[in-house]
Amino acid sequence: MLANGSALAGARPRSAAPDVWLWVLLPTLAVLGLIFGLPLADLIAVSVHEMTGPAQVGDALTLEHYRAFVTDPFFLVMVVRTFWLGFLVVAFCLAIGYPVAYYLARTTSRWRGMALFLVISPLLVSAIVRNIGWFPILGGSGVVNWILMSIGLIDEPLRLISNFTGVVIGLVHALLPLMILTLTTVIQRVEPELEEAAANLGAGPALVFWRVLLPLSLPGVVAGSLLVFAMAISAYTTPAILGGNRVLVMSTYIAQQFRTVLDYPAGGTAAALLLLFAALLTLLALRVRTKGGEAG
Amino acid sequence: MRRLALPGIVFATFIFLAAPVLIVVVASFNSGAVLSFPPTGFTTRWYERINPLFLHAVYVSLVVGLSTAFLSTVFGVPAALALARGRYAGRDLLNSLCLSPLMVPALVTGVALYQFSLAVWDVTGIGLGGTIPGLVLGHMTFGIPFVIRAVIAGHARFDRALEEAARNLGATPLETFWRVTLPVLQPSIVSGAIFAFLMSLDDVPIALFVGGGDATTLPVRIFTTVEFDFGGDIMAVASLIVGASVVLMLLLDRLVGLEQFFGSRH
Repeated sequence: MLANGSALAGARPRSAAPDVWLWVLLPTLAVLGLIFGLPLADLIAVSVHEMTGPAQVGDALTLEHYRAFVTDPFFLVMVVRTFWLGFLVVAFCLAIGYPVAYYLARTTSRWRGMALFLVISPLLVSAIVRNIGWFPILGGSGVVNWILMSIGLIDEPLRLISNFTGVVIGLVHALLPLMILTLTTVIQRVEPELEEAAANLGAGPALVFWRVLLPLSLPGVVAGSLLVFAMAISAYTTPAILGGNRVLVMSTYIAQQFRTVLDYPAGGTAAALLLLFAALLTLLALRVRTKGGEAG
Repeated sequence: MRRLALPGIVFATFIFLAAPVLIVVVASFNSGAVLSFPPTGFTTRWYERINPLFLHAVYVSLVVGLSTAFLSTVFGVPAALALARGRYAGRDLLNSLCLSPLMVPALVTGVALYQFSLAVWDVTGIGLGGTIPGLVLGHMTFGIPFVIRAVIAGHARFDRALEEAARNLGATPLETFWRVTLPVLQPSIVSGAIFAFLMSLDDVPIALFVGGGDATTLPVRIFTTVEFDFGGDIMAVASLIVGASVVLMLLLDRLVGLEQFFGSRH
């Protein structure tokens, strides 16, 4: 990759004066540096300082907050809970998203456009509204409990919201369209003839899926899963609203430190770690996707 | 049976996706407790009881959204052209740098801006926290990269021969830019700007930490309200947002094409 790049650069005659486009780029770089780069650097700087009181950051440097994250069971449990949330959301998004994406990729129905519209349209309704909509559905006297009690499946209403379950449901709902769109693109690239050939050779639908469809769509599945995972662990609004202040994951912990506890260094540390996780996962997803794209 | 399984799953998924949006509208007209189902009767009283604070929040959201879209375009388009056309060392790195805010969780950006605005206030006495300009600057962190990404994607399909033709026909470089380059790139510029606007309207984490007081956006006003109490007027507000979203959706579908719009995002 590197060798390739330098060979290209060598082939091109290089002018001594810097490209004028660099000057065009400069104002935007400066703005992003001021409104994004500096604040982020400042946050990371705060995370390696002492907390000297509520909303107070001392001068002495310390790695204490980072040490606590890898040694204190409280933080370990919280990180594991965050990742478990991401894992569950990915699992449900894949289980629901794959069949739907397969349908969208293969159907020749004239309703395809309409179906795609139905998948995409929830994305255009404000996230906060979609979160609120779960309360009349999942609440104690909501739709789901009403149905389950009407048909006699349960006697007591189930607790489906203001807890971990509610957060999982809300995040699956928020991220499912993204997963479906990603998978649809990938499955479209797998030629239907391959499935037909396998079926003609005697493979049942399950075998066709495991031996043909899944392996060929795997790069997209992995890329989509990594992206959804990154977004699930980064999300704040949904865990805050549907968790009802009872679900402590990294994002809700960070917000708590900055809004109520006012321990900025501790919040900054969790924020720096969450940033690290999310960025690594996103980069990995992009890498997997580019590779898949080259192969396909 | 097997033939029906797949459409069945697809149909159930559509219900799942649409449910929380549709129920908001139903619940907002429920004369009983808004959170209980089935509704006990029809009423419009929740709409009459909407707190004026929400109206002010709509105003803040629109001002912030439009300013974000405008300024993100002003800074994003030149940068996208510089990244797509320039020939200089480190271009790929600069490209990643310009898009890097999109990889950072919005909450992290939000608390970073909160922390930073306190530091700036300590040093310079300039207080951006809790102001509309502060909110706009905060939303530009994702607005600029969205515009850059959309324009670079549009530029990849750009036929440079068009510009050569214009130059050969006697147009000056500036004329070529205004009358050929910009019009050809216009659809991607517009979709980048719309996206920045929509994301600004949707954002909670950044606006929660940067805004406050008079500079409280609509989603943040809803967020902080439901933290304490879940009244019927919240459902009415949410239902009005659903209505506005449907109008917007139809407009967007007509103008850009929804599939294309969201397809070009990644």
